[in-house]
Formats: sequence, structure tokens, C-alpha cells
Amino acid sequence: MAVINTPNGFRLDAAGTRVVVDPVTRIEGHMRCEVNLDANNVITNAVSTGTMWRGLEVILKGRDPRDAWAFVERICGVCTGTHALTSVRAVEDALGIQIPENANSIRNLMQLTLQAHDHLVHFYHLHALDWVNPVNALKADPKATSEIAQKISAWPLSSPGYFRDIQTRLKKFVESGQLGLFRNGYWSNPAYRLPAEVDLLAVAHYLEALDFQREIVKIHTIYGGKNPHPNWLVGGMPCAINVHTTGAVGAINMERLNHVSSIIDRTREFIDQVYLPDLMAIASFYKDWTYGGGLSSKAVMSYGDIPERANDYGAANLKLPHGAIIGGDLRNIQNVDVRDPAEVQEFVDHSWYRYPEGAGKGRHPWEGVTEPDFTLGPNTKGTKTRIEALDESAKYSWIKAPRWKGHAVEVGPLARYIIGYAQNRPEFREPVDKALRDLGLPLEALFSTVGRTLARGLEASWAAAEMRHFQDKLVATIKAGDESTANVEKWDPSTWPKSAKGVGFTEAPRGALGHWVRIEDGRIESYQAVVPTTWNASPRDVQGNIGAYEAALLNTPVARADEPVEILRTLHSFDPCLACSTH
Amino acid sequence: MSESIEVIRAPQVVYVYEAPVRLWHWVNALAILVLGVTGYFIGSPLPSLPGEASHSFLMGYLRFAHFAAGYVLAIGFLGRIYWAIVGNHHAHQLFVLPFWNLQWWKEVIWEARWYGFLEKIPKKYVGHNPLAQLAMFTLFTLGITFMICTGFALYAEGAQQGSWADHVFGWVIPLFGQSQDVHTWHHFGMWVIVIFVILHVYAAIREDIMSRQSMVSTMVSGYRMFKDDRPD
Amino acid sequence: MAEIETFYEVMRRQGITRRSFLKFCSLTAAALGLSPARAAEIAAAMEQKPRTPVLWLHGLECTCCSESFIRAGHPLAKDVVLSMLSLDYDDTLMASAGHHAEAILEEVMTKYKGNYILAVEGNPSLNMDGMSCIVGGKPFVEQLKHVAKDCKAIIAWGACASWGCVQAARPNPTQAVPVHKVITDKPIIKVPGCPPIAEVMTGVITYMLTFDRLPELDRQGRPKMFYGQRIHDKCYRRPHFDAGQFAEAFDDDGARKGYCLYKLGCKGPTTYNACSTVRWNEGTSFPIQSGHGCIGCSEDGFWDKGSFYDRLTNIQQFGVEQNADRVGATAAGVVGAAVAAHAAVSAVTRARVKHVQTDERREDR
Ligand code: HEM
Ligand code: HEM
Ligand code: NFV
Ligand code: SF4
Ligand code: SF4
Ligand code: F3S
Ligand SMILES: [Mg+2]
Repeated sequence: MAVINTPNGFRLDAAGTRVVVDPVTRIEGHMRCEVNLDANNVITNAVSTGTMWRGLEVILKGRDPRDAWAFVERICGVCTGTHALTSVRAVEDALGIQIPENANSIRNLMQLTLQAHDHLVHFYHLHALDWVNPVNALKADPKATSEIAQKISAWPLSSPGYFRDIQTRLKKFVESGQLGLFRNGYWSNPAYRLPAEVDLLAVAHYLEALDFQREIVKIHTIYGGKNPHPNWLVGGMPCAINVHTTGAVGAINMERLNHVSSIIDRTREFIDQVYLPDLMAIASFYKDWTYGGGLSSKAVMSYGDIPERANDYGAANLKLPHGAIIGGDLRNIQNVDVRDPAEVQEFVDHSWYRYPEGAGKGRHPWEGVTEPDFTLGPNTKGTKTRIEALDESAKYSWIKAPRWKGHAVEVGPLARYIIGYAQNRPEFREPVDKALRDLGLPLEALFSTVGRTLARGLEASWAAAEMRHFQDKLVATIKAGDESTANVEKWDPSTWPKSAKGVGFTEAPRGALGHWVRIEDGRIESYQAVVPTTWNASPRDVQGNIGAYEAALLNTPVARADEPVEILRTLHSFDPCLACSTH
Repeated sequence: MSESIEVIRAPQVVYVYEAPVRLWHWVNALAILVLGVTGYFIGSPLPSLPGEASHSFLMGYLRFAHFAAGYVLAIGFLGRIYWAIVGNHHAHQLFVLPFWNLQWWKEVIWEARWYGFLEKIPKKYVGHNPLAQLAMFTLFTLGITFMICTGFALYAEGAQQGSWADHVFGWVIPLFGQSQDVHTWHHFGMWVIVIFVILHVYAAIREDIMSRQSMVSTMVSGYRMFKDDRPD
Repeated sequence: MAEIETFYEVMRRQGITRRSFLKFCSLTAAALGLSPARAAEIAAAMEQKPRTPVLWLHGLECTCCSESFIRAGHPLAKDVVLSMLSLDYDDTLMASAGHHAEAILEEVMTKYKGNYILAVEGNPSLNMDGMSCIVGGKPFVEQLKHVAKDCKAIIAWGACASWGCVQAARPNPTQAVPVHKVITDKPIIKVPGCPPIAEVMTGVITYMLTFDRLPELDRQGRPKMFYGQRIHDKCYRRPHFDAGQFAEAFDDDGARKGYCLYKLGCKGPTTYNACSTVRWNEGTSFPIQSGHGCIGCSEDGFWDKGSFYDRLTNIQQFGVEQNADRVGATAAGVVGAAVAAHAAVSAVTRARVKHVQTDERREDR
């Protein structure tokens, strides 16, 4: 089989042994990954496949635009709320609705809550087992673990007794022979490098984080009524505020504000005293595992998010960075215009969809089409309902291939931190410099699997700090006499134009997210979502450019061909969400 | 045979509606009036009342009136079914259509032609005229049965699982899909009843004036009076 | 082979003494209508019983049910998976991947034939040979049928597995179907909600483990203990409903006072769930408490009942979506107008007839 050099600068060689990982686990949704290994067990070709599709874009047609948030929120329960926020922004953009300042603060708070929560859960419960070996933790000396814990953090739960209890419980669990979630793990694989004490520390915090994450989301519950899937509203937020008078107990009142405040404090504490120190401790043992950079050093993009003032989505008003870096040129940050038909486009040449005019062309989401077309290439191994190996020269994924000005880009925390760093913004630059300094790594090390995981941790800490900012801002606005949370002037569809189109964007935990809507006669005429994992897990495009996952897997050596720890590591560093990617 | 469609047109005065039928008719009419008005406002409530919640009970009373009238309607309907069995010949017209009777269908058409101004002279009927019977059966008898089934299914939701209404009508909810669907169809049923009442009251008054027999007074006194003694 | 931890040991570790364990056993015996003598048998069984294996499969879904599950506060999700049951397969959380993961299914199915619980989140799709949800290169629906074969019972998590949920909303492009449409020979416990409340999820599971039986189900297969009443039956805003005090618009005076959300489309009156009592995230709030009406997320087909903000929802059978008032009032209007016209024509006809009659009479004279 021929060697392919992709236009975006990667060399693909599908000659060696094909290894299939399906299902890819500890992700959201259904994904398949196939790689080719050369004689030295180095990955020379990678195929990323989204293996589920539900058709939300098709289902939304003809619906009331005010209901859309609830439908798209169900695109994903892991990044719950971000699609809903993107949706209400898109509809407000289309209809020219301005939201009150308080609604903006609450929305930001909820989005930041999601960032903090999602990153934390990802690190401990989806990603950690790629680096941490719980079985090895049985060998640890709890006293030594305690010493490590106290050295790296001021977190109070760190006595030898605490770690001994955890270890005893773990021991009983392992000895029961019913290993549950840890069953069939790769616990003898040499790719695991942590000393037993750090393994024990991480396992203890795996459990601790599982307990604590419940607290963070209560901010969603207070403002949105529940989590997962809190409630939103076109025109603002549904939770009324009443802190001064009779009936306050039926609204957001002082008790509710205090509750949120206390959660914010504890969240900051947990992230800064548990998550970040653990992340640094674990990273220090994997410093020389430098793989997985992929597109990050070449092409990254971020729409930006978290508007300081309401209703202004211009880059200057957004606290998360906006822009694109192409060709690895950190000095040239390009502006991204989500309305420009020539910028964001989706291709379906290798995806299980068809466009009316046939293959080869991209479509801007306002003109987007979602029509399924499940076909397999001639070189597929197996049958149509029993796939053994995919043919990546044909259609091979339920994920579309989004491109920015024709470029495959990486999105997500690492992309945001690279852009923020390149923009010289201290809030992004300083934590990166410090972390790299502490690890003794150069800036280039950021462009890697470990760098991606690091950026996510730093971002969680940033998000928690910003939560405090917006909660304080909310209280200040209320103090200044403004309690409004919703603008219902244009609630009634009879006040809408006959036809309208809008776009909403956010920075979801996994990266740049956009929803494009067209409204005719008060009904949704077309709805298209281009989602972070659509960008990152993208299959090839018509030119043969590979996406971020495929790029990141290349050139990685695998310790045991049969045990895909390294593949999982790099894929997990993106925090894949497949329900999101295909929707 | 012809008797069953009441074409015996000879006598001048006939006792048609026995007292229980007449009593039921007016009680039923009143219950439906209450049900229609309260039901409408259950669906689209009046503007909010100020003050403490404990000071008013508007929705509560509306719903109470609805349920009370619902019980009256349902029990009356059961009583009316009983009377259809034990009462006189006219009493069961409401519940059985002479579906296989060709003559009856011909007279349905005749009546339709009469309403369409295509016939100059109406026929005489001791009981209901066939068109009226058809309308009463389809819109009223089936309509009210539907309203009672859906109404008590909704009532069972408030009365809770295990209540008599739940045992008897609980199956209705999953049949329609879910509770919201039952609300929607129950609400729609109200309009079917409203349409029946418009047609019915209009027809009753019109026939009273234009036909050859008494109408409104018949439902009061029970006696059908004929204005002429021509046999047909 | 290593010793298998029993339910008794688990309870002991949860801090339950032997005394209260035995008491629990006799209470269980009484609850099951068994003689006190049988309590000893129950105790013996529990002392020897390994944790029940649970295989948690994922179909077309958004994974919010899993997310909800890990929010459980009592018992903590951690304690459920470490001590109460053995979550042997769950693609979202398990360490293993690919064929190593798939192998677990076969191992458990063989070893615990007829004794494992199958938990399903999401649902299978039937269009395109089921290939809009692929696991291990094969349609998910096949995996579901395969694993269901030898299970003891199925828990259908969430609106997806119970009803179909958002992917099954019109026009249901993948032909997604709830679990009971493809598995018909096993007890299915539906735990609907989008997602279900965490403590309801753990409540249902621990009930099954504790009392060793399936919960009592309602007509639609939901546990009566959590789905026996509507949100509206126990909503704390109910006094405002009864009084006729409603929020008329979002953020209006009524909304700020916590009036009833009925006029903003609240589906609490038609939704069976425990939100207004158990509430969400350890009792922190629930949709209505935070100012948005219930959207009916635990009800069958709640996506297709018209706008979430409409009190009177649509009748789909009328082609274009129309609500009952619009259809009914239009029809009644048409009938009313027809009656008026008919009355007018009747009056004219009658006048003419009368005229002729008077003429006749005049001629008679
Ligand atoms: C909610 C309102 C009403 C309903 C549902 C209703 C229903 C009925 C029904 C079911 C019958 C058949 C009785 C039987 O065979 O047992 C009937 C007969 C009759 N109703 Fe009503 N009715 C209503 C109001 C009225 C009113 C307001 C009038 C007077 C203006 C009226 C006049 C009559 C008359 C005259 C008959 C006898 C028709 C005949 O002799 O064929 N109804 N009605
Ligand atoms: C002519 C007969 C009836 C009419 C016209 C009528 C009309 C209505 C209407 C318009 C509604 C509002 C539906 C909605 O928008 O949700 C309603 C609700 C209801 N009706 Fe009836 N109804 C009738 C008979 C009955 C009967 C026999 C019962 C049995 C008790 C009943 C019980 C109910 C209940 C329980 C509700 C729901 C109340 C609530 O949700 O608060 N109805 N009805
Ligand atoms: N990709 C993705 Fe999401 C995120 N973050 C959404 O926009 O995860 Ni479910
Ligand atoms: S039921 Fe709702 S919340 Fe649960 S997986 Fe399905 S869409 Fe998500
Ligand atoms: S807010 Fe909803 S559930 Fe609560 S009383 Fe009003 S209508 Fe019922
Ligand atoms: S929307 Fe769902 S969460 Fe509860 S209040 Fe309604 S059932
Ligand atoms: Mg899309």
C-alpha cells in the first residue's frame, strides 16, 4: 500500500499490522479507532471513526426556535448546557434579542461551572487510568503516600491513616475477585510508570473527586433547576431574582446566592489543592512521553467565550481567547468570522452523509445539509454489519469533516491556551510558564498529549477563579438595583421577522462550538451544529487532510500491540465526546 | 318496521319523553354548561389574583365545580342508560341507530334535504327525526362517553393510583400515549360538544317554529303535539 | 481464585452491625410475607451471595444518565460501584477497551447466567441495519439482544431506553426504539427522565439488591415508589395554582414571587416523576423551583407535544400542528356562522311561505 503525504504535512503508511480498538472506552459515546503499526510497533496510520448518529439537526426542522435549546442540550449530557447556551445565543442573534446583564453573569457562571466540572471528571474518571495503575497502588506504603501528598499540597485529607483506609478498601475490593470497572485493565503493561505511592494517591483522589464533583454542579441546579440538563431561556435565564421582598423564597434569594458562593470557594480549593497538584505529580513521571502533539503545533482555533458585558460577542469582550493559528505561526493570530461562508465549512467525502450536489465541496453551516448515507469502501474487511477493518479511502465515519478556510484545526483547552499564550495574555501565559518550569520542560512540550492534559487542568483552575468574578458581579448588579434576568419583549413569535438567521458560539470544555439557525415563519428552517469533537475527531476531507485525533496518534510507539494504553492516552487527552461530534 | 323510525304520524298528541328523560335532559344540559365553562378556564386560566395564596382558591373552585358537574354528568348518563332499558320506546333511540334499516337512512336523507331547503314540507316524527338521532348518537352519545372516559382518567391522576377512577379509567392514559395527550383530546372533545349544542339548540328552536310538531315544550311536558293531522 | 465478597460483608463494611443485619433479614422476611424462621435462610443467603454483576450498555444517547448516576449522594455512586454491586461493564467508565472490554460481557454472561442485571442507557436504532449505532463493528441492537438473553432483569435508564427520547422525536431519522420494542421476554424496569434523578437511580438499584425483588411497577412499567405521582401533586407552588396565581411571563412580578408556572407551559400536571419531592442534586432544587416549567422529561414522547411553553399543546393528527382550542374554536365558529346563515335563510323562506299563505287566505275571503 502506498505511502500518503497529506496536504497538512503528515505521512501515512498503512502497510503494517492493523490494530482495531472498538469500543474506545472512557469517552462519551461510541467511537472506533484503527491504527497501523510498523515493525517497531510505531503508529504509522490512524483512522478515527464516530460510530453513532442520531439526527438532531434533522429532528429540529420545523420546531419552535424557543424550544431548540432543550433538544440540542440532549446532544450531550457530559458537556451539559453548553449546547443549550449556544442555541439560545443563536436564536437571540437571529431575532435581535438583547439579554439582561444578570442573565449574562448567570450564563457565564453556568458555563464556567461546566468547564470546571467537566475537566475535573475527565481527568480523574476518564483519563487517569491511562497513567495510573490502581492494582499497583496495593503495594504502596500509605505513610510514604501521605508524605508525598503533604509535600505537594495543603489539602487536609492526607494522613497515613486516610490512605491506609483507602488502600484497605481497595484491597478488599481487588481480593473479592469482582474487579468491576477495573476488570481486564492493562495492569501489567510497562507503559504504566508511576511509583505505587503516587498510584495510591491518585486512586484516593479518584474516589474523592467522584464525591466532590457532585457539589460543583449544584450551581447548575440552583440557577437551572437540575443537573445534568439544566434549563435555559431565549431572552435571558428562567430563574427570577428576588432578594429583598415577600416571595423571595420562591426565587434566587440570599440563601441561594450564599449557596453558590460557598460551592465556588470549595471548587477553587479542590481544583487548586487536589486536581492541579495530582496532575503535576503524575506528569512529572511521564515527562519524556512526548507523543501526541498532532495538529496542536500547526493549526489551532478558538471562537472565544465568556463575554464580560452582556450582548457583545466581539473578541475584545471575551475572556477566553478568539482566533486561529495556522502553520504553527504563533505571531500571526487570524480573526475567525463564523458568518463568512468561506471560513467554516463542513465536508462529507469521508463521512456517512451525502450532499445534493455530490462530493468534493464544503458547505457553510447556514447552507448545511444532513442527509445520512451509510456506505462502506471496497477495501472494507468484513461485511456491512460486521466490520473488521474500515476502508478509509471511502466514507468511514458518522462525523463530518469541518474545516476553517480549508484547514483541519485542533480545538479545545490546549488550543485556547496556545492562542492565549500567543496573545501574551498573562492569565494564560503565566500558569503555562510556571507549570512548564516546575516540570522542567520547554515550551515545545506543550504540543503533546501531556500538554493537552496540562492545559485542561490549568483551564479548570482559571474557570473556577472566573466563577467567583461573575458571582460577585451578579451580586453587585443586584445591589445596584437591577434584578432582571429575562427580556421577553420578543417572546411572542408575532414580533419576529418573517425570516431570520443567526449564529451562536461558545467555548465548550472540548473546544469551539457553533450553532447556525435559520428561522422562517416562526419555525426552524435549518439548524446546524459544528461541535468541538467534530473538529478534533474529524475524518479526512476531500484534499486528504487528516484531523486532530488521527494526527496526534501518528508516530507513537506502542508497548504491547494488543493493549492499546497509548492509543487511549492520546485519544483521551482530547476528552472525546462522540454524541457531540455527530449529534 | 316503520314504527321504529316513528313514521306513525296519525295521532295529534303523544306522550314521548317520560319524566326521568326530561329531568335528565335539563340536568345534563346544566352539567355540560358548567363543564364547558369551567373546563375552558382550567385550560386557559383567568388573570392572576393578587394577595396571599391562602386567600383565594379560584382554580380550586373551578376544578371542584368541574369535577362535581363531571360526576353529575356521568351518573346522569348511567341513569339515562338504565332508562333506555326500562323506559319507553323513545328512550332508547339515543343509544341505538337502526343502522341496517334502509328506510331510516332514506329518511335521514329526506331530513337533510329539508334542512337544505330542498323539501318544502317536513315529515312528522313522534320521537327524534332520523337526522337528529344520527347527530345525537355520533356527537352526543359517543362524545359524552369519550368525555367521561377521558375526564375520569384525568380525574384518576389527581385521585391517585388505587382510586376507583384509576381502576376503572386508568388504562385510558397509556392508550393515548401520556397524560398531556389525554388533556389535549379531552379539551378537543369540549369543542365537539359545543358544536353539538349549537346545532342542537338551533335545530330544536327552528323545528319548533318550522316543523309540523312541537319541540321545546315536548322536552318540558313530555307531550309531542302535531300542528296538522295529515298522515304523512 | 480470590474470595468473592458477599453482600453481608459489604453491609458490614458499610458500618452495619451483625445485630442490625439479622434484624434487617427478619424485617425482609416479614415484608415478603415469610415466616420468621425463614429469616435465618435469608441471612445465610446474603452471607454467601457475591455482589450482583451489572452490565451497563450504551446505545444512542447523550450519556447524561451516567452523569446523573455519578451525582448520587445517598448512597454515594462510589459506594454503589465498589460495595453494592459489581459494575463489570460500562463503556463510559471501564478501564478496559476494545476486544478486552467485549470479552467481559461473555465472561459474565457465562459465569452469572440468569443472575446478572442488564442496565441499558440510550436505545437501539433499526434504520440502516442498525448501523447508526455501532459497537465492535456490529449494530448495537445485536449486542443488546445478545446480552439480554441471559439476564435476570433489565433496567431501562432514562427517557431513551424507556421511551425513545430525543432521537426518536419526529421524524426519528434513525428509527430509534425503546428497549421494550426489541426485548420482549424479560422484566423491564423503566426509570424514565432526561435524565432520571440520581437518587432515584440508586434507589431503584438498591431496592432490588436489598429486598431481592423487582420493584412494583405501574401500568407503563415504572416503579410506583418514584413514579406513582405527578410533579403537580406534590409541587410546592401548588397553593398558587389552586389560588389562581400564575406567572404570566418570565421574570414578571408573579415569577419573582414564585407563582405557579402553569401558564408558561409547565407540564407538572401531566408528568410522573419525583422531582417535586426528592428534588435534584441532593435536594438542591428542581426545574420549577428554579423558575422554568417542567418540560415533562420523564414522559413518553414529550418532545413531540408542541412547544414547552404552551399550556395547550398540539394535536399532531391534524397534519399541521394545531392545539385543541384553535381547531375546536375554528370548527365551532364555522358551525356557528353556518347556523346563523341557515337561520337567516330559514327566516326568509318562512316569511315567503307565510306571505303566500296570507295571500291564499286573502283570496279565500
Ligand atoms: C348542553 C346542552 C344540551 C344538550 C347536551 C342536550 C342534549 C339533548 C339530548 C341528548 C336529547 C335527546 C333526549 C333523549 O332522547 O333522551 C335532547 C333532546 C332535546 N333537547 Fe336538548 N340538549 C341541550 C340543551 C337543550 C336546550 C337549551 C334546548 C331548548 C332550547 C333543548 C331542547 C331539546 C329538545 C326540544 C329535545 C327533544 C328533541 C326531540 O323531541 O326530538 N336542548 N337534547
Ligand atoms: C362535556 C363534558 C366535559 C367538558 C366539555 C370538559 C371540558 C374540559 C376542559 C376544556 C378541560 C381542560 C383541559 C386542558 O386544557 O387541559 C377539562 C379538564 C378536565 N376535566 Fe373535563 N370536561 C368534561 C367532562 C369531564 C368529566 C365527566 C370529568 C370527570 C370528572 C372531567 C374531568 C376533568 C379533569 C380531571 C380535568 C383536568 C383538570 C386539571 O388538569 O386541573 N371532565 N375538561
Ligand atoms: N465535543 C463536545 Fe461537547 C463539549 N465540550 C460540545 O459542544 O462534549 Ni459532550
Ligand atoms: S434519557 Fe435524556 S438524558 Fe438520558 S441519555 Fe437519553 S437524552 Fe440523555
Ligand atoms: S408550577 Fe407546575 S407543577 Fe407546580 S403547581 Fe404550577 S403547574 Fe403544577
Ligand atoms: S422536566 Fe424533568 S426533571 Fe422533573 S420537573 Fe419535569 S420531570
Ligand atoms: Mg452538524
